[in-house]
Amino acid sequence: MAIKLEKVVQTYYEALEEGKILGRKCPKCGNVEFPPVYACNACGSLETEWYEISGKAKLHSIVLPAALSSKPEYKALGKYAYGEIELEEGSRFNGVVLGINKKKRKELEGKLPVSCHAKIFQRVGGYKTVVFELDEE
Amino acid sequence: MNQTKLHKYSRSVSIIGVGCTPFMYTVDKDETNGLTEGEMYGYAALKAMEDAGVNPQDVDYYFHGQANPLAGSNFLTPNIQIGNWFGMKGKGSIHHSEACCTGYLAIEQAVNAVASGKYNCVLTGCVEFGDSSPAPYDGIAPEDDGVDVPKHPYKRNKIPMEQFLKTTSWLYDRTYTRALMAGQELIYDDAAEWYVRTRGITPEQMNDTLNWMCINNMRNAEVNPLSLINFLKGTKDPNQFTYDERAKAAGMTLDEYMNSAYNPRMGDFLRAGGIELKCDGAAACIVCATEMIPQIAKNLKHKPIEVVGIGSAACEASTPHFEVAATQEAVRQVYELTGMSGDDLDLFYANDFIVTSHLVSAEIAGYLPEGEGWKYICDGRTAWNGDKPINSNGGRTAFGHAHAASGMADMYEACKQIWNEAGDHQVPNLKDHKVPQTAMLRGYGGAQNVAAIIIKRIDD
Repeated sequence: MAIKLEKVVQTYYEALEEGKILGRKCPKCGNVEFPPVYACNACGSLETEWYEISGKAKLHSIVLPAALSSKPEYKALGKYAYGEIELEEGSRFNGVVLGINKKKRKELEGKLPVSCHAKIFQRVGGYKTVVFELDEE
Repeated sequence: MNQTKLHKYSRSVSIIGVGCTPFMYTVDKDETNGLTEGEMYGYAALKAMEDAGVNPQDVDYYFHGQANPLAGSNFLTPNIQIGNWFGMKGKGSIHHSEACCTGYLAIEQAVNAVASGKYNCVLTGCVEFGDSSPAPYDGIAPEDDGVDVPKHPYKRNKIPMEQFLKTTSWLYDRTYTRALMAGQELIYDDAAEWYVRTRGITPEQMNDTLNWMCINNMRNAEVNPLSLINFLKGTKDPNQFTYDERAKAAGMTLDEYMNSAYNPRMGDFLRAGGIELKCDGAAACIVCATEMIPQIAKNLKHKPIEVVGIGSAACEASTPHFEVAATQEAVRQVYELTGMSGDDLDLFYANDFIVTSHLVSAEIAGYLPEGEGWKYICDGRTAWNGDKPINSNGGRTAFGHAHAASGMADMYEACKQIWNEAGDHQVPNLKDHKVPQTAMLRGYGGAQNVAAIIIKRIDD
């Protein structure tokens, strides 16, 4: 491998159009960066390589949307919450999880982290993004 | 997460003078409507020089902070555009923006410049028009093409909230974070959720704590002549009234009022009172090599306040619990460097444009005991006249938030308290009733930069 001036962002979004969710894996320590970036934030390796993530994940925290923390476009999500996502591959980031309202949050209290999985979601603006859904119990 | 080890400065650096404008809605009063960036920054800079006993020729360089100079001032190079106002024409300068963390990192940049030996004495200042923009409104209005230029040299208009919120979206990574929809929304409630879950308190206890942070901030601002709520006295703005006054007018107890429709819930936890009052203001400091003070500031009227260390961390908003994670790292760095702990701090300042910050950061810094901080707040012990003051100036929810200038205004307040020059709001109830000597300022902002600054008065 070599350090490349590379269109990582465009490749990531084009893969979503094809139903694939890509991250970047460090060849030295195995850390997976999601969303994909050039270098490894775990060991400092200057290079990473493309890696298709499984989509399996855990949800560690739940914050419900409210007047300040929602946008009209988000109505298309139905019931949802924000929270800390941990991918099976180890990456942790803030994401959206579908199917959670006040009642569901109450049910999940004390059970965190809970299993969830990635879903590709169409955004206004002509591109797709990644959200998560709770696994069936 | 990645960690950094700090090293001692090459030489001691101290703050020797401070200046600050009132925090204002400038366009709301005839006497302030029409004030410009040069006048605001210039006033703060000259007051800081006067306070230090230096003149502009003694100052080698100036730093200029403004969070959003394009939208707020129609400036690309704001340090140059105000450069003739305070007697330093021709001297070198730089502009920087770290959004709401600008004023804290303005201290970091100035201290680094002096500690390196390049300069002996520098000015670091910040200005912001958070409540108004050049008239006619330009640049980001939907009907504009984004390149309009105001037609008038000093007139300004209020910024409508919807326009302000458009510019706040610029804080977040366009490639991933905005698309993932979570990082930019978690700023309001993530820290509260983290605190409730990790400390084991109830949502109702968190609600009370959020309300009491607002009440305490308001009580602090009430006795601070530079606060926004005092600027608003005599106007029609309801923010001029304390929560006690508002509750009485509504025929409610304070607790009823804080949980009523007058203080609506705007987030999962956050109520309206816990959100910044964005406004206009400027503040500045003179930063000098401690060893050079006898030559440069011959008539210094107060003791130098040394900047003993500054921890820094930045967690982009897709990082889980970004405020908590970055604060933990910045605090860890500065305590490792200095050998100090929360027990050594007499005062604590937190950039609390979301008021939750003030609880979370004070506990992470060990200024309040872990898991117990919420009780200190609800008991009023963190108000200016308590034994553990936080944001003795009133914080962002009552002193006001002139984005870049807020951190520098916190430094102004901390120095005035440490010099025993805070007048009617000098903190009275520290242990042994002593004058404070040491403070931490926890900077936060810009989705998200964090700084943990420790300052300490040098006593003979």
